Amino acid sequence: MTSGGATVGGLAVKTGVAHWLHGYLMMTRWELGSLRMLLPLIVAVQVVIGGGFALGIGLFFDQIPERNALFLSTGVAVVTLITVGLVLGPQLVGNQKSAGTYDFMWSLPVPRTTQAAAWTTVNSVIALPGMVAALLIAQWRYELPLQFSFSLIPAVLLTIVTATMIGYAFAHAIPKPMITQLITQLLIFFILGFAPINFPPENLPAWLANVNMWLPFHHMAVVIRDGLTDGLVGDVGRSYLVLGLYTAGSVALAALVIGRRD
Amino acid sequence: MVLESPLAPSPVTVGMGPRWWFRSYLMMMRFDVRGLGQWLMIGVVIQILMGAGMGIMYGFYLGDVPAVVKTFLATGVPALALIPIGFVMVPNMVGQQRVAHTYDFLWSLPVPRLAAAASTFTVFTLFALPGVATGLGVGVWYYGVELDVSWMVVPAVLLTSLMTTSVGFGMAHGIKNPVVINFITNMIVFFVTLFSPIVVPIAQFPAWLASIHRALPFYHMAVVIRDGLSTGLVADVGRSYLVLGLWTVAGWVATAWVVGRRG
Repeated sequence: MTSGGATVGGLAVKTGVAHWLHGYLMMTRWELGSLRMLLPLIVAVQVVIGGGFALGIGLFFDQIPERNALFLSTGVAVVTLITVGLVLGPQLVGNQKSAGTYDFMWSLPVPRTTQAAAWTTVNSVIALPGMVAALLIAQWRYELPLQFSFSLIPAVLLTIVTATMIGYAFAHAIPKPMITQLITQLLIFFILGFAPINFPPENLPAWLANVNMWLPFHHMAVVIRDGLTDGLVGDVGRSYLVLGLYTAGSVALAALVIGRRD
Repeated sequence: MVLESPLAPSPVTVGMGPRWWFRSYLMMMRFDVRGLGQWLMIGVVIQILMGAGMGIMYGFYLGDVPAVVKTFLATGVPALALIPIGFVMVPNMVGQQRVAHTYDFLWSLPVPRLAAAASTFTVFTLFALPGVATGLGVGVWYYGVELDVSWMVVPAVLLTSLMTTSVGFGMAHGIKNPVVINFITNMIVFFVTLFSPIVVPIAQFPAWLASIHRALPFYHMAVVIRDGLSTGLVADVGRSYLVLGLWTVAGWVATAWVVGRRG
């Protein structure tokens, strides 16, 4: 049994695509299995958050203009994806650290990249029902002319991967779960308040809108809006470019963090 | 050297009187501040950031709005900034004490239990004020709002803070499981920031939700504070004071019921 592998101290270390895929499937089963009891609850909370934003923000307006309603409804889809990656993910890793299962996970005989990939898959399983529910609730409440296109698929994937990998890098790099939680909560507070996700960018002062051109969150909203509406956003190419760079950067950062051996 | 009879009362004196009460109160405040330690500084900074941030971010959601809406928004922020202190930090602090097993120890300290409760109220009110002031200041500056401040803002802020701390205290002592407390406090924050008529008029809300809010404390917190900061925006302030007073008493009753028991 030495097919395509090296031997370290009598233990066979396997490599190859088949081994990686096998490891990825096993880790996905593992992560889903360990969340078994929590999974329905987490998905339900995601639905409540997404639906809550769609309905609650509408209450701020006496009569919500259709343009605002469109931005809000498509924005809540983005919010559900970002909160899973940036807030829920790091908290689950923090729980593993508190419970002492974290080091055990790293000791499993699978490539660490399969763990990151499995984590992204699990986050998608959690995030997607929330996103669909939020869109349905918003659609029911505001009766908007949403138009789905296939570009929604890469847009959602890029958003999930980027948000998940940023949260993943945080959660693994910072030893104390309390600090991770504090940082992620402040982050989501400022993202929801100061990035044009749930509202049009012209509501921001010019300098803040410019800052957002260099951050990923505005572009996540642009590409997802492009997949959900017709003509609400322009210059999607630039957004795909910026978001793509952030995706690559966040994956590299996560790889750097989990590649360390200490 | 006096030999004590084994039947004599223990040498620990149980103090009484206002002076002793006041001394206990001061000592408990020192104890509470030290206990919070480094979290106190972090907490104050977060309070200030969030207070200022909330004032501005609601404006981004609303877009270009008339002056009266801006005034409404700016005068709602102080109430919003007070809510996390009483409804989130106080119950979670007590929850932490249960997890760390200091909860029973605290109740065993030889001070009047009311002095301990009064200390918690004072510390957390002082803790909240920088965020309240910053939130208001930033809102006024950003929206160019003109306030009409009356002395009524003092009892309004004090009663509001007392109410949130009392309800938070009662909730924390009544519910034994810290996980449940954490869940409830998160739900309160979610409900308050998205579904409460604090920065917008209650008239915009559907009738059923408005009537729920007339019984809950959040809307009334905003009414009494807004009344102290502006003229002509709110009516029927007396009723709001009454509702807040009732919630405060309810918090005390819950606390007294739990604290008064000798388990």
